[in-house]
Amino acid sequence: MNAAPDPAAPPSHPAHRGFSPSRIAAIARNTLTELIRLKVFYFLLLFALLIIGNSAFMLRFSFQEEFQVLKDVSLGAMSIFTSLLAIVATAMLLPKDVEDRTLYTILAKPVPRFEYLAGKLGGVLVLLFIATLLMSVLFVAVLFIREKWVIAEILREAGGTPNEQALEMIANVKKSAFSGALVPGIAIIYLKACLLSALTLFVSTFASSSIFTIIVVVAVYFVGHLQATAREYWLAAGANVSWITKGFLAMVSLIFPDLQMFNLVDDIVAGNDIALGLFLRTSGLGLLYVGVYLLAAHFIFSAKEL
Amino acid sequence: MSDPTPAVSIENLTKVYPIPLRRKQLVAVRDLSLQVQPGQVYGLLGPNGSGKSTTLKIVLGLVRPTSGATKIFGSDSSEVESREQVGFLPENPYFYKYLTGEETLRFFGRICLLGGRALQDRIDELLALVGLEHARDRRLGGYSKGMLQRIGLAQALIQKPRLVVLDEPTAGVDPAGSREIRDLILDLKKQGIAVLLSSHLLAQVQEICDRVGILSRGRLVREGRLEDLISIENQTEILLEDAPPELLADIRALVEKSSGKLRDIRKPQTTLERLFLESTESSSLGNPVESTSNDRKS
Repeated sequence: MNAAPDPAAPPSHPAHRGFSPSRIAAIARNTLTELIRLKVFYFLLLFALLIIGNSAFMLRFSFQEEFQVLKDVSLGAMSIFTSLLAIVATAMLLPKDVEDRTLYTILAKPVPRFEYLAGKLGGVLVLLFIATLLMSVLFVAVLFIREKWVIAEILREAGGTPNEQALEMIANVKKSAFSGALVPGIAIIYLKACLLSALTLFVSTFASSSIFTIIVVVAVYFVGHLQATAREYWLAAGANVSWITKGFLAMVSLIFPDLQMFNLVDDIVAGNDIALGLFLRTSGLGLLYVGVYLLAAHFIFSAKEL
Repeated sequence: MSDPTPAVSIENLTKVYPIPLRRKQLVAVRDLSLQVQPGQVYGLLGPNGSGKSTTLKIVLGLVRPTSGATKIFGSDSSEVESREQVGFLPENPYFYKYLTGEETLRFFGRICLLGGRALQDRIDELLALVGLEHARDRRLGGYSKGMLQRIGLAQALIQKPRLVVLDEPTAGVDPAGSREIRDLILDLKKQGIAVLLSSHLLAQVQEICDRVGILSRGRLVREGRLEDLISIENQTEILLEDAPPELLADIRALVEKSSGKLRDIRKPQTTLERLFLESTESSSLGNPVESTSNDRKS
């Protein structure tokens, strides 16, 4: 027999959990749904057009040049597209939640502010992963199709029976098309986008609008790419460098991420392998930046009055 | 036995916002103290800018007080833990337009760590409670204002809170929607859930609140049981139905003989809201609309 519930009796609640990966996962999943339903993946069509168009345009090159340019353009485009997606997708998340008052309803639930931020960032990072994966699949597919096409061309010119020279050419084609450096190179492109996303989240915790956030992060993006060059130029002056310049450079290095370190495209295009040490160092640095920016965002957001 | 701990306890609460460029300060709430008991509907009234929303935000831990303390069932409301017991519906909520009604409740359930069959049952229960079963698979972007308020109320109740905080729950909602929300609030009261709401729609507050506090420029200027605050102690109202003119004449004569004064004899009026609801309901049923209300009986 079921006992009639006492309407005045307080309902039983599970004990509050100070930190819950499930809550973060719920917010991340919702953020991913939001971004997908906002149709942000449309930019992939642009990427597809770019590399397919680029591939058709390169028919006039030798196959080595063709694969070099294809990899250069594709990886460069992948880097720019993921960076842009990271900045734009993240910049609108917090202001939109404030504008729609959704932030209030979420934080009025037993959700710590850190988990809210971590969930939002998590959603964008999953989106970036999917975007990077789709672009990589598209890029590899175009590379594969071009490789098969060039090999077929070599075989046709050899009259169907490949001689030693043709076999050597085929081996060269395979070497030019795919290299082991592609996977770590793409992983670093993804990490750079993660870093930019965390940086954007940090800026959006104190920025007044999405536009302001985007402008600030794009400025940081350029400074981050140029600072290594500027540092090398100034330090090359040797003894003439004043302590003020050195201090300024150190400050810039601390505040702005050195994004040039995440640019391994040149090595990949040149056919060089990426050393494991360099990959691990760069990955570690990227993850460190993500962690530091997330903590800095939490520091400001937890003190923010909504 | 009822729980003696107040659902909300606010003690000497003051909130000051600095205005940096002008080197001035804005006192949003000044030395506010009040309590909301479990199962009570408390109305926080006041004009725009009187400090109602700031007070609610402090109770929910969204804004820090400059001084004073707020507690929810005895827990400091700045602690995340205190919000296990609270549901909140903000003023004019939009929520995530890309989610359906059911997905919205599922999201809010998940962040309250509900899941599985229990969450699905709770979603079904709440959609039925707020009358949105028919719109469960429709995206919130296509919801009307009243439907948004109702799904907002449903999300506020997802984890079975003991306190519900509503900021202008009927703002911008048509009279029919407004009545539905009011009925839902009365249902909550019957279930023993405390409700703290802010509003400047006084007629509605009068119908549902047990206790009210009136804020003006951040100060609590009146506070108490609604009945005590609005009753006119030296007047008595007698409401008669089908009274013949002779009876009315007798009453007049009796009053004249006594020390009391007859203030007025008049036909009671229905409210404009009731007239609106009756008219729109009868018109939706295809009935002719009355042109006058001279013979209307309340």
